[in-house]
Amino acid sequence: MSDNHDVNYKKIYFWLLGLLVVSVAGPFLGIGWVTLLTAFGIALVKANLVIQNFMHLRWEKKLVKWLLMSSLILMALFVAGVAPDVMNHEGNNWVNVAAQAAVERGLSDEQSEGGEAPDGGTEVAAAEPGVFSPVAQFNLICALCHGTAGDGIGVGGAAFDSPPGNFTDPVFWETRDDERIKTAIRDGGAAVGVSANMAPWGALFDDAQLDEMVEYVKSFRPQGQ
Amino acid sequence: MSFPKPQATLRSATGIPTGRLAVWWLIASEVVIFGGLLGSYLMHRLGHPEWADAAAHTNTWIGAFNTFVLLTSSFTAVLAHKAAEAGDGKKAAKLLVLTMGGAVTFVLVKSAEWAYEISHGYTITANNFWSFYYTAAGLHALHVIAGAIIMGIIAADAYRGRELQRVELIGIYWHFVDVVWIFLFPLLYIAK
Repeated sequence: MSDNHDVNYKKIYFWLLGLLVVSVAGPFLGIGWVTLLTAFGIALVKANLVIQNFMHLRWEKKLVKWLLMSSLILMALFVAGVAPDVMNHEGNNWVNVAAQAAVERGLSDEQSEGGEAPDGGTEVAAAEPGVFSPVAQFNLICALCHGTAGDGIGVGGAAFDSPPGNFTDPVFWETRDDERIKTAIRDGGAAVGVSANMAPWGALFDDAQLDEMVEYVKSFRPQGQ
Repeated sequence: MSFPKPQATLRSATGIPTGRLAVWWLIASEVVIFGGLLGSYLMHRLGHPEWADAAAHTNTWIGAFNTFVLLTSSFTAVLAHKAAEAGDGKKAAKLLVLTMGGAVTFVLVKSAEWAYEISHGYTITANNFWSFYYTAAGLHALHVIAGAIIMGIIAADAYRGRELQRVELIGIYWHFVDVVWIFLFPLLYIAK
């Protein structure tokens, strides 16, 4: 309260408005690096004006500056640690198939729709019948809980009270038929009276694709059953 | 019924009034929350070229208008602080109410913007860009709403000349909310 800071707040405010106009005008030039500079360079300048003059950080004790700096360093550590994984989709002996597929899907989706609004991203997978593969879909979605071998041992399933269905177990098949498996995939476990942890996936597949998924699940069934 | 006056806002073991130090602590933790969220957004944006197509559908003019609203409300908040320092509680309260007006305008514009986008199919599940868009802007909007409510309580006190030191504290928080938006604006609206 006793701090007496001689700041011309009105002047700072008009500077902020002027910078806002520049940041909006920047992209109209259509030059990539100018847009980046007017968008993010000016955001830094604006934030600094507010922090120093409105929040009075300039006159604050060092303690506060160290406190804020620590937070920023923690944030930078987080970004530096995660960025190599998120920003690269392949490297030495590894490929992030899901991320590459997401890029491809997103780009082709946008072109085919001519800039129209998406009706929900989950339908994208079903919109390309030419590339539909029940094995790939199973490994991408189902295997998380049911395991790539269909034995009910997947990392995601370990957290559930009731274990995910084990398609290699003869007992499992005693109570299953095609229609019931199809319903479970489409409407979720609750629809067939088993655990609701089995989510409904009907939005992802059309009817023919559901049948293909059922066939693939049945391929895990032990011989002679 | 009477309570002893809390010392937190008056005592100052560090040379910084303890109430103000607490606000700085709050902001330090908020930096990590918003920093983590915006950092994740930035990484994904750079790693996924298809996000640019999704981002092209946000409306820069609405974003710019809301930036203007928040900058202006920051201006009135700092003027409220100045009035409180001069001991003029009534003036500080009026300026805080103006600041709350900015908060209400911001939230109304944002609601209209979201309603338009959602009705056109750009929902939180449409793709990862829109998930980030609604999460980041939504978390920020919650901060705007919380700030406006606290500001109302402080303005009511300040009008009666009580707890004037709190005007500065809500001001610091409000400027932080402004700073977050200063970064959200280019991230979500300008960079197409």
